[in-house]
Amino acid sequence: MAANPMSQFEVYSIGPKIQIGSFDLSFTNSSLFMVLTVTVISLFFIVATQKKSLVPNKMQLIAEMAFEFVSKMISETAGKDARPYFPFILSLFLFVLVANLLGMLPYSFTVTSHIIVTFALAFFIFIGVTAVGFAKHGISYLKLFVPSGVPIFLLPLIIVIEVISYLSRPVSLSVRLFANMMAGHTMLKVFGGFVVSLGILGGWLPLGFAVALTGLELLVAFIQAYVFAILTCIYLNDALNLHH
Amino acid sequence: MAFKMKDIKELDSKIKDLSEKTRKAESEPSSNSSLGMAMKLSSEMVAAVFVASLIGYYLDKWLETEPFFLIFLFFLGAVTGILNVVRTSKMINKE
Repeated sequence: MAANPMSQFEVYSIGPKIQIGSFDLSFTNSSLFMVLTVTVISLFFIVATQKKSLVPNKMQLIAEMAFEFVSKMISETAGKDARPYFPFILSLFLFVLVANLLGMLPYSFTVTSHIIVTFALAFFIFIGVTAVGFAKHGISYLKLFVPSGVPIFLLPLIIVIEVISYLSRPVSLSVRLFANMMAGHTMLKVFGGFVVSLGILGGWLPLGFAVALTGLELLVAFIQAYVFAILTCIYLNDALNLHH
Repeated sequence: MAFKMKDIKELDSKIKDLSEKTRKAESEPSSNSSLGMAMKLSSEMVAAVFVASLIGYYLDKWLETEPFFLIFLFFLGAVTGILNVVRTSKMINKE
């Protein structure tokens, strides 16, 4: 048994080694769980929407709830203009949520506990939102960096601060998700290790903690997916309705 | 007849229980996210300092003005971080 609590985050390649240029493109356990995440989501929605009845069965109900949850979230935070981006937000929310939840299964791998995965997600959101903003408002999107009612001699400083604030968005978005997932899973593993090392006499207390932490982690898995999606909505709102 | 009344009462209490449960479940996301809120605020602060310092470091490398921009932008990043925290908590309060 691996005693190191960090060994669960190791990425190793499975299958043949694929090298293109200087990039190692081998299929890893991380890629496997990403594929698994997408497969689980797709299968679930295919099965749930198979029999579209007016009175939904359990699976259809869950699918509809996920749909309505995201739809409500978008209309509350980003308004009507954000309707076209509904498929994107829904996929994003479900991907993060299911990746987090799959990570809760024993012996599985948590995709979102790696900063590079969450940063890639956040960075593409950042690029996309900026592109949407420029496409909608043209060059006047730069007004986002110039708050109204600022004295002219403070303007250079304020603009720099606003630009830093804008650039820090993808970092804070990705660090939050990654740090939550990694800290939670490390803690679980540490308490699991305590159970083994204290044995049958003293192991019951950390076992109780581990059970409680598992519940907390399930909550965190949901909250972080929710926060990730809602912040995307908020950024989208800034880009669509320029009222800074 | 008495038997039926008992059934109806039982059903009534069941419905009340369930409706209470759903109401609780509906109010969950907003009340439960205090943990998420704490993480949100702290990461906001750290991210701004980190990004600003990174920009400062590379500006210094490019313009060969070590360590002026690193120090200057570090403090500006701290200012931005506090501004972000204030903004986020304002937004949370509005909700």
